[in-house]
Amino acid sequence: MEKTLKPVNLLLPFTPVRVRWKHALVAAQAAAALALWALSTSRTLPAPPEVGRAWLDLVAHQGLLVELWVSVKVSLLALALSTAAAVALACLATAPLFMPLARLSAALRFLGFAGLTYVFMLVSSDAITLRVAILAFGMFVFMVTGLLSDLAATSRDPVDHCRTLGMRHWRITAEVVLLGKADVILDLMRQNAAVGWTLLTLVEGLTRSAGGIGAMLLNENRYFLLARVFAIQATILAVGLVQDALLSMLKEAACPWSTLGKETAPS
Amino acid sequence: MPLEHPRKGDRPVMTTIRDYTLGERLLTLDNVCVHYDRPILDGVTGHIDNLRRAGLQQGQVVCLLGPSGIGKSQLFRCIAGLQRPTSGSVRLNGSQRDVQAGEVGVVAQNYPLFNHRTVWGNLMLAALRHGRSMDAAREACLALLDKFRLADHARAHPMMLSGGQRQRVAIAQQLLCSSHFLLMDEPFSGLDPLVKTAVCETLIDVSTSHELNTIIVVTHDIECAIRIADTLWLLGRQPDASGRPAGGASIREVHDLAGMGLAWDPDIESRPEFLELAAELKARFATL
Repeated sequence: MEKTLKPVNLLLPFTPVRVRWKHALVAAQAAAALALWALSTSRTLPAPPEVGRAWLDLVAHQGLLVELWVSVKVSLLALALSTAAAVALACLATAPLFMPLARLSAALRFLGFAGLTYVFMLVSSDAITLRVAILAFGMFVFMVTGLLSDLAATSRDPVDHCRTLGMRHWRITAEVVLLGKADVILDLMRQNAAVGWTLLTLVEGLTRSAGGIGAMLLNENRYFLLARVFAIQATILAVGLVQDALLSMLKEAACPWSTLGKETAPS
Repeated sequence: MPLEHPRKGDRPVMTTIRDYTLGERLLTLDNVCVHYDRPILDGVTGHIDNLRRAGLQQGQVVCLLGPSGIGKSQLFRCIAGLQRPTSGSVRLNGSQRDVQAGEVGVVAQNYPLFNHRTVWGNLMLAALRHGRSMDAAREACLALLDKFRLADHARAHPMMLSGGQRQRVAIAQQLLCSSHFLLMDEPFSGLDPLVKTAVCETLIDVSTSHELNTIIVVTHDIECAIRIADTLWLLGRQPDASGRPAGGASIREVHDLAGMGLAWDPDIESRPEFLELAAELKARFATL
């Protein structure tokens, strides 16, 4: 029997849509944005072919991929350090003594980097260390905020359940926070990886001599070479999306329970 | 090793029997009071003694019955060792110290399990808590998976289980690590009649399968309580001068169903005494 397609009003909120339709919508809107850009008559905005040529030139003559690798290393190291520090602090915050310290750390997200960079310079031995320290700090404060918020929303039930099994103190923390919140931690890592890429330009701007794609972006922007700027931005966007997809796959592999019981649309 | 309970097919053989003796003290509630801005529990006093039937090794089921909002969950938390009473004490096995969390098996209303662990992981975690070797823990888990018909779900995560399966895993997990008895909070809440019957059968099966499997069920479901219990505790408040219930709750009545010949009878629902007692308790609820 032939299946009949039911009409779906995509303008209505919470309308259930098949996964393939969602993918089609993303592809259509991306194509429309690209078409708009290509058909733009703006003189200042570089056209897609110009950006493509600029990208090839950057790769061939300016070492774009080498600079990208410098930045990726800094970004990954900062992500690992900030995650480890934030998770450790969130675990400590389950004890009342450390909660004020955790709250103070979360409050530091309102600080700008101006002035703060000087403190980091004093304690850093080289440019790469300085970059990692500032970037890790930027990610850390947001990750602590996210973890504290999730801990605050955790009910008493899992803690009681641990106690009924004879667990005590830090063993409960390990079960409820480290293992029980592994999916939340990986989700926050995804968000912080994105925050890291947005901060990267600022951080690499402090020590341009050490290279990196952020420093390259600032250099091209300084001379208003928009085609090259767009090419570098597109590269950062692509790397960010790939990193995000990899972290998402890591979450699905490490925490298969996190998607169970959630409504999924048919394909 | 416990003696095998006599069985006919898969069901324990149960008869209307009045012959039993009471042994050592299992649980003592000594003037337990819980007060917040108002009294919740006020002088809850009672005890459970080990019940023995000739030729059988079985636990028992004590139901703590009371209307919603009377303070059953507070008493549940106190007996589980999850909460200290404002005054009074809860003691196990004639001990002089208060019960500690982890000494009593606890199955809360929502059947808590660790969603990040598989069924097997949940059971092994509990089995290893009491210093068992890895091999002994594995053996104990396999035996319970088999007993509770969960062997096919060992690698499933709790989110993949039905309510009944989840409840059985939660009971199995607590049986693996509790050295005294099992405390259950509202196991019949929100269930349809068929599932209620299945839960009653599970509880009777657990309680009659081992000497140590004494179960305390906190519930407001009168029929299910009479169906599974050998002792009923009725929790309620004292009437004030105008006759309306006031103050904190305490145990107002104890019904010895074993002594009345109403325990361990699979066909109890068809007996007039069952209906009479259910009607009597329903009428009492209105005054509590």
